Amino acid sequence: MKHDSIRKSLIFYLDNELSENEKAAVERHLEECADCRNFLVFLRKGMQVIEDEKKSEELPFFYTRLSAKLEEIAEPGGQSQWSRLAHPILFSLILALAVYGGLQLGSNASSFSVKQPAVSNIQMLDDFETEPIESFLLSNL
Amino acid sequence: MDEYQLIKGIQQGDRKAFQVLVETYQRMVVNTCMGIVHNKVDAEDLAQDVFLEVFRTAENFRGDSKVSTWVYRIATNRSLNLIRKNKRKRFFQSIEETFSGGKNRGSEISDRRGDQPDQNITDQERSDLLHHAIDQLPEKQRIAFTLNKYEELPYQQIAEIMEISLASVESLIHRAKKNLQKQLYNCYKKRCV
Repeated sequence: MKHDSIRKSLIFYLDNELSENEKAAVERHLEECADCRNFLVFLRKGMQVIEDEKKSEELPFFYTRLSAKLEEIAEPGGQSQWSRLAHPILFSLILALAVYGGLQLGSNASSFSVKQPAVSNIQMLDDFETEPIESFLLSNL
Repeated sequence: MDEYQLIKGIQQGDRKAFQVLVETYQRMVVNTCMGIVHNKVDAEDLAQDVFLEVFRTAENFRGDSKVSTWVYRIATNRSLNLIRKNKRKRFFQSIEETFSGGKNRGSEISDRRGDQPDQNITDQERSDLLHHAIDQLPEKQRIAFTLNKYEELPYQQIAEIMEISLASVESLIHRAKKNLQKQLYNCYKKRCV
């Protein structure tokens, strides 16, 4: 086996997944190649991290915490059903009120703004009819 | 009480049965989550969520697979969801940093690593290096590798958890190891830790 193919099979050598022949070839190469030997050490230490993480400590109060979470979910159960219904109803009511109020305000404002200029126009026209500008100027002389 | 009786108890709201199930599987779930997310606090929080989901969805469990397979499946899915969420978060943070002119966290880590001589590799750095290499694996390879290495599960059970064939599991784990070795070799050559 060549140097590169030996190096690429080192992780399988570590996991004891090579055939007897392959294993023997790797071991022969390791005796000669310092670079592969160093890399094997590097690889072994790297993979050891997993073994160390598996030896995890106890998990104190794991179920106590979980149980508290379950209580939290279960307790407001009756309320949550009510709030699930109450929130959209309340929101819809506020929205309907706002729309109604807006419509009322809009209609009042439009009737006010339309009537006002109409009245003033009529008044002005009436004024012109009753007193033309010429007679007004003449009367001041 | 066997595991199917436990599930039956949980389906009927029996808290004692749930406690027994949690105590049986808590270490296994935390280890699986830890193998995928590489953070103890996140792994424990995920494990809590996994058991809440078990409690909530126990009534849907039909017993087609082993309880442990079902629990492992929930744990891997939850862990992958957290990783995807964190990835999205990091993506938006990097965009924000690009526009605000902030320094990328990734480059800070590599700068720090570049200053350290090879002899001073600490356990933490070695652990970070391996986690980084595992994180670079495609999702399916990562799950298969984690279940095999962290939980020492047989290929058959991994196939059931991942709902794929036995041959696919073998191939995924083989490719995962090759990719992992490649990344560790690049790091070894560049003396990146």
